Amino acid sequence: MFVDDRRAASSVRVTNQFTVMATTRRTATALFTGTVLLSGCGPTLVPVMENGQVLPDRTSAVVTQAGADVQLERSRLADERSLTGATALATCTPDLCDAIARGEIAIGMTEAQVMAATRTTGDAWDVRDSSGMTTMTARSGLAAPGDAVGEVAFVSLQNGRVSAYTYREPQGYRTVTSPVDATLAGQAAARADALVREGDEFAAAGRLDLALDRYDRADVIRPGDPETTLRIASTLDKQLRPFEAIMRYQLFIHQMELEKIEARGEVAARIAEAIARARERVLILEQR
Amino acid sequence: MKTKVVTTRPLMVLALGALALSGCAPQVTRIAPEQAIDLSGRWNDVDSRMVADAMIEQSFVSNWVSDHMRSHGGEAPTVIVGTVRNRSMEHIPVETFVRDLERAYVNSGAVQVVSSGAERDELRAERLDQQEFASTGTRAQLGMEHGASYMLQGEIQSIEDREGRRRVVFYQVDLSLVDLESNQRVWVGQHKIKKYVENPRIRF
Repeated sequence: MFVDDRRAASSVRVTNQFTVMATTRRTATALFTGTVLLSGCGPTLVPVMENGQVLPDRTSAVVTQAGADVQLERSRLADERSLTGATALATCTPDLCDAIARGEIAIGMTEAQVMAATRTTGDAWDVRDSSGMTTMTARSGLAAPGDAVGEVAFVSLQNGRVSAYTYREPQGYRTVTSPVDATLAGQAAARADALVREGDEFAAAGRLDLALDRYDRADVIRPGDPETTLRIASTLDKQLRPFEAIMRYQLFIHQMELEKIEARGEVAARIAEAIARARERVLILEQR
Repeated sequence: MKTKVVTTRPLMVLALGALALSGCAPQVTRIAPEQAIDLSGRWNDVDSRMVADAMIEQSFVSNWVSDHMRSHGGEAPTVIVGTVRNRSMEHIPVETFVRDLERAYVNSGAVQVVSSGAERDELRAERLDQQEFASTGTRAQLGMEHGASYMLQGEIQSIEDREGRRRVVFYQVDLSLVDLESNQRVWVGQHKIKKYVENPRIRF
């Protein structure tokens, strides 16, 4: 009986050993299969560079080539500018020669002189001819060329001579059609007009603060203009700033009295009407 | 026999000590800067160089330089370096590839570069100092700085995807040249880098 028990126990032990071995083998197989399967799920990598690889010098050639190309282009443009400059200076009057030297476009210049004044070549302009009228505009896709005053939007030539030219300025486009427009006073008047126009647009849109800002700037550029003063007075009045408005109305009346002396007929009547309106506002505001 | 034991013991101690100490000494090997070595997978000199190379190539292939020259009678465009923002999670020194681009511009002669930021402040301070202390003939004049036509701006962004010990990092570097007067972008350069990083199972 005792012997049988020992045999049975030994048999159980052997069976257990086999079971453990089988389980271990199964687990290992499952793990291996899992690993294989999981490794199959990962991304397939396509390396663009190996670790430790020495990178080739890619940019030296590019920089050298770019330098050579630019030098070539610069030489071509310099040659063209020299040729245009020589043509421009050979035919210019003293006034126009001075303008070229200052780098400013002037009425009466030729196409070559415009290029010399703006320090550009034909590459910068699109030139269109039509029955004696020529128009020069910035070449499509390129930045607009400019002279010493500002960015030039376009130049009109009549019979080969500049009849008008237009600048692109923060307040809009400003066209010069006579030598007077090109003077500082002419520039100031045009800019002040543009600022007043801008102010009127803001006033119409109900942005009185911005309108007042534009009128003030116009007043600085062109001081003593009664129209600007009246706009400032009205805007201050609308902003419910009576003390400042009274001062501006009174200034306007003073400026208008001076103008009234010089004015005649219908203009004088309009001035008188404006004065009367300003006086009325002063009285109303003072009574408050 | 006793005498022999006494003489070998210090020798063995010395040998062991030397071995132990040699293991502690740092090993330094000088290598070529062009060699790509990735250790952690974070942004490194190789990435900086790849970005610089790509940006230089893209910048010179584009027509913005020749367009500027044609509208300005052959005058080279002038660039000022603005801010290149690092919007990634890592510390990325952007100056390395920006300086490479600056160097390429200046050395090619195609683009002029003017100083910006702290460099400019230092130069202005020196120029002001000269007005008082330098002789008339050698004094640098005020108000003669070269105004830039374009500003170089940009940013770096990164996206990271992580799972266990595996990580994918994606960097995108965008640079652009903006016309200072009109705010128009005359050139936009872009370079993308993607890295797959797999850390070892056991780390010491």
